[in-house]
Amino acid sequence: MFLDLRLGALVEPLSKRRWEPERIATEMSRRIARFQRLGLARGDRVFLTFGNRLEFFAELLAIWRLGGCAVPVDARLTAFEVTTLVQAASPRLAVVDEATDPAVLVALTKAGVTHVSTSDTGDAEATVGHSQMDDDALILFTSGSTGAPKGVVHTHRSLRARWMALREQLGTAAFARTLCMLPTHFGHGLICNCLFPWLSGQDLYITPPFRPDIIMRLGALLDEHRITFMSSVPSVWRMALKMSRRPQAGSLQRVHVGSAPLSAHVWEEIRNWTGTRQVCNAYGITETGSWVAGLADADVPAEDGLIGEGWGAVIKVLRTSETDLPLDAGCECAVGETGYVWLNTPALMKGYFQRDDLTRKAVSDGWFFTGDIGVLDVQGRLSLRGRERDEINKGGMKIYPSDVDAVVERFDKASDVCTFAIEDVLYGQIVGMAVVLSDPQDDTVRALHAWMQHHLAEPKMPSLWWAVAEIARTSRGKINREAVRDACAAQAPLDMVRLLAVGAAP
Amino acid sequence: MTGADHAGLLDALRQFLRSIQKPGVAVESLGLDDPLVASGLLDSLAIMQIVVYLEESYGVDFAAGGFDPERLATMGSIVGLIEQSRG
Repeated sequence: MFLDLRLGALVEPLSKRRWEPERIATEMSRRIARFQRLGLARGDRVFLTFGNRLEFFAELLAIWRLGGCAVPVDARLTAFEVTTLVQAASPRLAVVDEATDPAVLVALTKAGVTHVSTSDTGDAEATVGHSQMDDDALILFTSGSTGAPKGVVHTHRSLRARWMALREQLGTAAFARTLCMLPTHFGHGLICNCLFPWLSGQDLYITPPFRPDIIMRLGALLDEHRITFMSSVPSVWRMALKMSRRPQAGSLQRVHVGSAPLSAHVWEEIRNWTGTRQVCNAYGITETGSWVAGLADADVPAEDGLIGEGWGAVIKVLRTSETDLPLDAGCECAVGETGYVWLNTPALMKGYFQRDDLTRKAVSDGWFFTGDIGVLDVQGRLSLRGRERDEINKGGMKIYPSDVDAVVERFDKASDVCTFAIEDVLYGQIVGMAVVLSDPQDDTVRALHAWMQHHLAEPKMPSLWWAVAEIARTSRGKINREAVRDACAAQAPLDMVRLLAVGAAP
Repeated sequence: MTGADHAGLLDALRQFLRSIQKPGVAVESLGLDDPLVASGLLDSLAIMQIVVYLEESYGVDFAAGGFDPERLATMGSIVGLIEQSRG
C-alpha cells in the first residue's frame, strides 16, 4: 500500500506530537494485534468516527494490512445519521476517540457495532499483509446520511492509480512537508492532501479541519514547519488572506485550491500572499480519487474557472449527459464549445456501495459523468463554467438538498420542503430552506428546528428559513429549486433568532 | 474611556452579533467571558465577519497590529480590543 516502501513522518503542529516512521510502524502493529483480538477479518468494514490526528493514520494502515475496508465518518454527524450509515454499511467495528459524541456511542452499541477507542491498543504487536489490489480499501459517504446513503468505494487499485498519476504529473519534491487542514473523511483531504504525499514518503502535518484560530496563524505555521505544500478551499483562503500574516520563510513550493470554484482574483491574491506562482485550481471528485486535473506547471495567468490538463485522466466535454446510451465521438463538443464534463481514469471508484442503480446513472462504459459544465481550449485545458449537480457548496463542503429534505419530510407538520443554495460572500454558498407547514405557528417552527438539530449535522442546518404556501414544481412534478429560491429571495426569511429566543436560556 | 462608553460599545457589539448569530442561543444569555463560538452563538467562520465589523466600525487595523485569535473569542475581549485600538 506504500508507494515508496517507506512512509513519511506524521506531525500535529498544534500538539507538537511527531511520529517518525518507526513509531508509526509500532502504532500500526499494535492496532493490527488489537483488530485481530476483536476478530477483524479480510473484507470487514471499520468505521472511523474521528480524524485529523496521528492515530487515524495508524488505524487506516492497520485496517488495510488486515484486508479490511476503512470508512471514515464525519465526527459531526448526529447519532441518527451514524445509525443510517451503519445500517447501510454494516461495519464489523468502529474506532472512536475521546471526542466522539456519547449519543453516537450509544447508537453504535444499539446497532450491534463493537466500538473501541483509538488509544486502546495494548502493547502486543502483529505484522500481516493481507490486502489485495482489488479489495475495497475505502468507502467515503458523500451524501444520504439521512436517507439512502451514497458511499464511494475505492479499491487499493483505484487509489494507487490516483497516487501514481499524481506522482507522474507532479513528482514528490514539492510535497516534502505537506500541510493538511482539510477533514480526513473527505476525498480531497484524505486521498490527495494526506495520503498521496505521506504514502510517498513525505512528511504530513495534520491539523483539525477548518479551525479559524489555525487559519489566522497560517503564515506563522507555514514558517515554523517550513511547509512546502498545502491544499485548501477558497473560503479558508478568504479568511487567511485577510487575517493571517504572510509567510516569510519562502518555503512554500506549491499550493492547491479545490472543492469549490476559484476566482482569478483570489488566485492572484493567494500567489501574492504565499510567494509562489505554483498555485492551481485542483479539480477533484471523490469518485475519481479527487485531484483529477490541474496545472502541473501553474505559472500561467489566473483565469476564472481554469483547471488545466487531466492528471491520469482523459477529459472530454460532451453534448450529452445521458449515461444509459453508449458515448461516441459524435457527441463531442468542439474546442471552445461548452458542454458536460466526462472523465475516464483508472482511478475511478469501483462504484457506489450497494447502489448499482446510482453507479449506472454516473458511469457509462467506464466514463464518469461529473455533472459539471466546462469547455476545453486548443491546448486541451479544461475550464469550468458551472454545474448541474444538485448540491450546495458551503465553504468547500458539499451539502445535498435531499439530505436536509429527507429529515424535514419526516416531521409530522411539514407537508413539503425544498432546500436550496444561496450565494454568500464568506462561504460561497449557504443553505436556504422553504417549508410548507400544516400548522404554520411559531411553536411549529421551533419544534421543526429542534427536530432538525437532533437529526442533522450542524453544518447542514439551513441558515435561512422561509415558511411558504407551496413549493414550485416543474411540469414533470419535480421540485423546481431555482424557482423556489427566486420566490424566497423576494420575501424576508423567518426571523429565526427571535423565534428561537423564546425558550432559550435567559 | 468611561463606563458609559464601555457600555455603549458592548451594546453595539451585541446588536452586531445578533445580526450574524446562529438561532437558538440568546446573545443576552452570554457573559462577557463566555466563548462566542463554543457557546453555539456563532459559526466559527463568523469570526471573519467580526474582523470586518471592527475594521469598518472602529478602524481597527489588524494588518498593523498583528492578530491574536484570542482577542476575538469573547465579547469582553473584543470590547477590550476596541478600547485598546482607541488608545
